[in-house]
Amino acid sequence: MLLLGQMRARSCQGMTRRALLEIGVSSVLGLSLAHLLRLRAAGPPQNGTARSVLFLWLWGGPAHLDTWDPKPSAPLEFRGPFSPIATSVNGIRIGELFPQVAKQAHRLALVRSLHTASNDHGVAGTIGLTGSSAGAVGLDGKPQSGSARPALGSIVAKARGLGSKVPPFMVVGGRLHQGKKAIIGEGGGPLGALYDPFRLEYHPAKATTIPVLQLPNDLTPERLGDRQRLLQAFNQAARRMDETPCQALDDYHRQAFAMLASPSASKLFDLGRESDALKDRYGRTRFGQSCLLGRRLIEHGVPFVQVNWSDHVEAEEDSGDGGWDHHYRNFQIMQDRHAPWLDQALSALLTDLHEHGLLERTLVVAMGEFGRSPKINPMAGRDHWEHCYSAVLAGGGIHGGRVIGSSDARGAHPADHPVTPADIAATVQYAVGITSEQAATLGLSTDGKVIEELF
Amino acid sequence: MHLMRPLLVLVGLFLLDASLLSRCWAADPPTPSPAAIRLTKDGDFKQHLQWSPDGKKLLMTRIHEGKMALWIMNADGSDLKLLLAPPPTTPHFDGHWSHDSKKIVYVHDIPQGTDGKLQINTVNADGGDSKVLIPHKAFEESPRWSPDGKRLVWVSTRDGNQDIYCADAEGKNIKRLTSESPLNNNPSWSPDSKRLAFASCRAGNFEIHVMDADGGDVRRLTNHQALDYWPTWSPDGKSIAFTSNRDGNYEIYVMKADGTGVRNLTRHPAQDNYATWSPDGKRIAFISNRDGGHDVYVIDVKN
Repeated sequence: MLLLGQMRARSCQGMTRRALLEIGVSSVLGLSLAHLLRLRAAGPPQNGTARSVLFLWLWGGPAHLDTWDPKPSAPLEFRGPFSPIATSVNGIRIGELFPQVAKQAHRLALVRSLHTASNDHGVAGTIGLTGSSAGAVGLDGKPQSGSARPALGSIVAKARGLGSKVPPFMVVGGRLHQGKKAIIGEGGGPLGALYDPFRLEYHPAKATTIPVLQLPNDLTPERLGDRQRLLQAFNQAARRMDETPCQALDDYHRQAFAMLASPSASKLFDLGRESDALKDRYGRTRFGQSCLLGRRLIEHGVPFVQVNWSDHVEAEEDSGDGGWDHHYRNFQIMQDRHAPWLDQALSALLTDLHEHGLLERTLVVAMGEFGRSPKINPMAGRDHWEHCYSAVLAGGGIHGGRVIGSSDARGAHPADHPVTPADIAATVQYAVGITSEQAATLGLSTDGKVIEELF
Repeated sequence: MHLMRPLLVLVGLFLLDASLLSRCWAADPPTPSPAAIRLTKDGDFKQHLQWSPDGKKLLMTRIHEGKMALWIMNADGSDLKLLLAPPPTTPHFDGHWSHDSKKIVYVHDIPQGTDGKLQINTVNADGGDSKVLIPHKAFEESPRWSPDGKRLVWVSTRDGNQDIYCADAEGKNIKRLTSESPLNNNPSWSPDSKRLAFASCRAGNFEIHVMDADGGDVRRLTNHQALDYWPTWSPDGKSIAFTSNRDGNYEIYVMKADGTGVRNLTRHPAQDNYATWSPDGKRIAFISNRDGGHDVYVIDVKN
């Protein structure tokens, strides 16, 4: 993260104030001619119809039995206290805490046979975000073999190219952590920092912020129309930079400045342009408003937007929203906060995308890094469970009203059609039209198989 | 007869589905209740609302600027402020008043490593002199002082289930009151301190139950496939308010203390939750997101 005025620790090349301000006129930065030629040679997307992806990352691992895969016939100590409810699709039932999502079942597909290779947030998180455990670092601090693969958003960004006026991969939410450690797999990895996500954060009290830039407190992205103040801020920032040994910005930070200086930036960020009624529909929660911001980014042409539910897996770390890692108090937190918030935000998002005519060309994926143990633990919670969990997919060519795969009687293991995060990654690539040939050309091949039943 | 059986099964399945359907997506939005008065307008997420016995204050858990903490305000909605002074950086929530409105008992979450350690603390109603009452042994939560001031009940996982425990007001002489199912929570004292209402999933899903203060004579009051929780006894002891999603979204319901006469008090398509009675029993305050954010509302209760 770049905090202007705190650059001494960085080692980089020189940059003048003039150069810094000139960055604002260009949004295609750091892109080599060779790279552009390679992208053009790879040709336009062929496979799918999706033009964008909205990836809702439910960090911490939601309990599949309490969300999308209820098991009413299992013993109480497995099924938990929540009942299933009917949905808009005959025969599909989900957890009772999701009545609004239930109304949208005809628009979404449930995958109930996901499984992954680790029950460690760090490792499973990397797998979920990149489709591979390579380079992942778990709680023990030991890296998995291989170099980290690029995040799914980075892959889509590379395939789509950087020629647009908007960054191709944006994350709404803070960096993902396990404890104090940021996890591997949120960035471009071998593709380089150019394909790292451009990150925004939404705070209910402060509205949208850009963490890479430490703006003056009263200058939020929504107020970027105040050009005079923005230039003053840049001048101050540039002055500070000229005074430090570090005098350059890397491509990522250039991109950030370019975007901030773009006249259209405020349109992207400004939730004030949305009606209060629509903001209410999403829920006035961090995740709800982040989803609305995600829809705005998609609407303005961002190919891949990832919305992080929380920065940390634990409910305690973020104090407020917290993650889905409910080893204890699972059922209270689910019924009081997480389920109503997700129900409201996800259902509003699907409706809103549909009403804007965006759903058909926007693939929505909602998932975490793993599920939670079918058996309730002695702390009224559920522990990590990598053997079986669920994901929600909608839009972007996905046929709604479907359930892909099933779990066994207690939701412990896939009963049929086992699916991995690599398969989800391959499916996303397919949906946005990345052909296997294109992937191979760009060095982005995945180990997963497309879940063809979704289309 | 052998032809009738499959037919009956089909009819039964249809009725089952229809009943489920009426609980969720196909249900018409209930008629909005016109009488609720909005007390706060900040929209921050709030829960665990508690009216002080002297009627002057409302206590709640509020998530403000990313921090979960106890907040207190006047019963008319004015002067909303943090309870604890100085406010700790760690989450603290689910407070409850002493019978004389002079002290508050609450849950303090002390993060250790990647886990939180819940303990029960007390604090003066002016926010000073916070101290531990029930140290962390397992996950200790939902503390409730009895109206006669002599006892405390709370929820703990110290014996491997989430159960309700009782102690004297100083936290000594601990006794386990429930043991029948994995999940028992939300205890609420009757005004005479002789009975407890609580939520338990011993019947398969969360239902409202009552029991004697020593854990005996357990009776189930609600019987619905939906989620019923957060019971709270009226000051005259004749009614119990609770939260249920039986009409497709969270609403405040009121029933007689024997479980009969259940009626939907709030009747609104938004989420209404965390009922607390005014000391005169004429009003209920609750949290609702009917205006977008989560705010405190008050509604009249007519018998």
